[in-house]
Amino acid sequence: MEEQLAELAAKVAELEASGGGAAVTNTMFAETFYYITIPLMILIHAGFLAYEMGASRLKNVLSSGVKNILAFAFVIPTFYFFGWWVYWGFPTGLPGAPGPAGISGVEYANAIAWGWGDSAQYMGPNIADQASGVFFGAFALFAATTASIMSGAVIERIQTVGFIILAVVLGSFAWVVAAAWGWHADGWLVTQWGVHDFGAAGLVHAVAGFFALGVLINLGPRIGKFNADGSANHIPGHNMPLTVVGLMLIIVGFWGFLMACVIVPGEAWSWFGDKPSTIYGTPITLSALSFNILMAIAGGIIGSWIMTRDPFWMMSGALAGIISTASGLDIYFPALAFIISFSAGVILKPCADWLENRGIDDAVGAVTVHGTIGLYGVVMLGIWGSGFPSLQGAAGDAPTITLVGQIIGAVVFFLLGFVPGYVCSFILKMFGLLRIREGAERAGMDLVKVPAAGYPEWGNTAPVTPAHPAE
Amino acid sequence: MFPYEQASWDVVDGAMFMGWGGALPGLTTLIAAIICIAVLVIGQRSETAKAKTFDK
Repeated sequence: MEEQLAELAAKVAELEASGGGAAVTNTMFAETFYYITIPLMILIHAGFLAYEMGASRLKNVLSSGVKNILAFAFVIPTFYFFGWWVYWGFPTGLPGAPGPAGISGVEYANAIAWGWGDSAQYMGPNIADQASGVFFGAFALFAATTASIMSGAVIERIQTVGFIILAVVLGSFAWVVAAAWGWHADGWLVTQWGVHDFGAAGLVHAVAGFFALGVLINLGPRIGKFNADGSANHIPGHNMPLTVVGLMLIIVGFWGFLMACVIVPGEAWSWFGDKPSTIYGTPITLSALSFNILMAIAGGIIGSWIMTRDPFWMMSGALAGIISTASGLDIYFPALAFIISFSAGVILKPCADWLENRGIDDAVGAVTVHGTIGLYGVVMLGIWGSGFPSLQGAAGDAPTITLVGQIIGAVVFFLLGFVPGYVCSFILKMFGLLRIREGAERAGMDLVKVPAAGYPEWGNTAPVTPAHPAE
Repeated sequence: MFPYEQASWDVVDGAMFMGWGGALPGLTTLIAAIICIAVLVIGQRSETAKAKTFDK
């Protein structure tokens, strides 16, 4: 009997030990899952970099790249300094009261999201915390993506520092408020209106797109874009193939972006022990994403091809396809996602033309691709997804998805983008920080901003400077 | 469009997309296929017409 008991105890110990191993494996998997999304999302920036530089004329190619790189570099630390705190602090709005899920409010944010005091333990290396850093990393890349979206629209005439200030306001504040309100289980748009925006069509793309519109109104068009009678000229970039490849890289990066929108199971912070979920705690699978993202890319390309035959717009159509279905990638049927994204591809160029005919010089179509199509996607989900529960989990009961709720979400996302973009750029304009001087714009911004030449052996003259100080 | 009678994720243990159990999946698949074919037909016609303008 004693022998049997000892054998049983050994068996139990073995099982416990193996269970502990499984827990470690799951934690490592969860950490690795989000860690991988970060370099994938950096591909979005590689794409935006190529896309913007290709869309710039030879005389501006490097300054466009410098601007984009600096947006990334300044949004990351400012998101660390305060953006992460805003996300956790204000899902219920002002004054930052805690929400029903118990993971929001100023007090909660103070405890986990400041880089000083006790809170700093969650904002730096910590052997007992394998989640905060990778979550922060994924969100910081969402933030940098918003700034990159705006970056393309304003090429060839914006000042560097003015642009960086705008990038910080957008990437570390404006979209963060939208995420807190509409992309958090305690967000008031979610708990009160059932807003569902799984892949951030509204709270990333539309906010960034309409922020760019607010900036463009104050920034004005490039010299030569519009004629005296108001008609628009096409200003071709210097390298269409680079732009198209850049757009394809953005598409690659968006697999990481959307992957990072999934909450993996089995951890203390997971919604479920045994199944992945959205950020709202509703179920999702990576298979759902694979089906729907692929069909959306295809639909967007085909829709744009039939309207334009232009590879720039076809790849923009691929992006529009993803954005138009992003809100409901967790619950669309693939063929329906294809149809919606096809329609987005069809309306894309006419919407861009409409905007251009109103005197807006959006050099890469960012307002339309991200702003207009982002809101289109949010509203489309209201049409097709009405009746789906918006939340599940600790947040308790919540409204279902409705058309009215999605429209309210779309209006809020529009305002959260447009108003800060317009107001901040207006202030920068007052202080002379927005637009480059006319002479420099005509000469080419690379001559002013960059001590190097993009293509030194042909074309634009670059300043000859010593490679190193004379001995 | 929620494919279950009770609007709760607790009752979902399988397919969870819009229209599951109804005609929507089949209908949208058919429409998507028709779109692909129609686009090819339109694309071929317009490309041929454009190519003809270069005939001598």
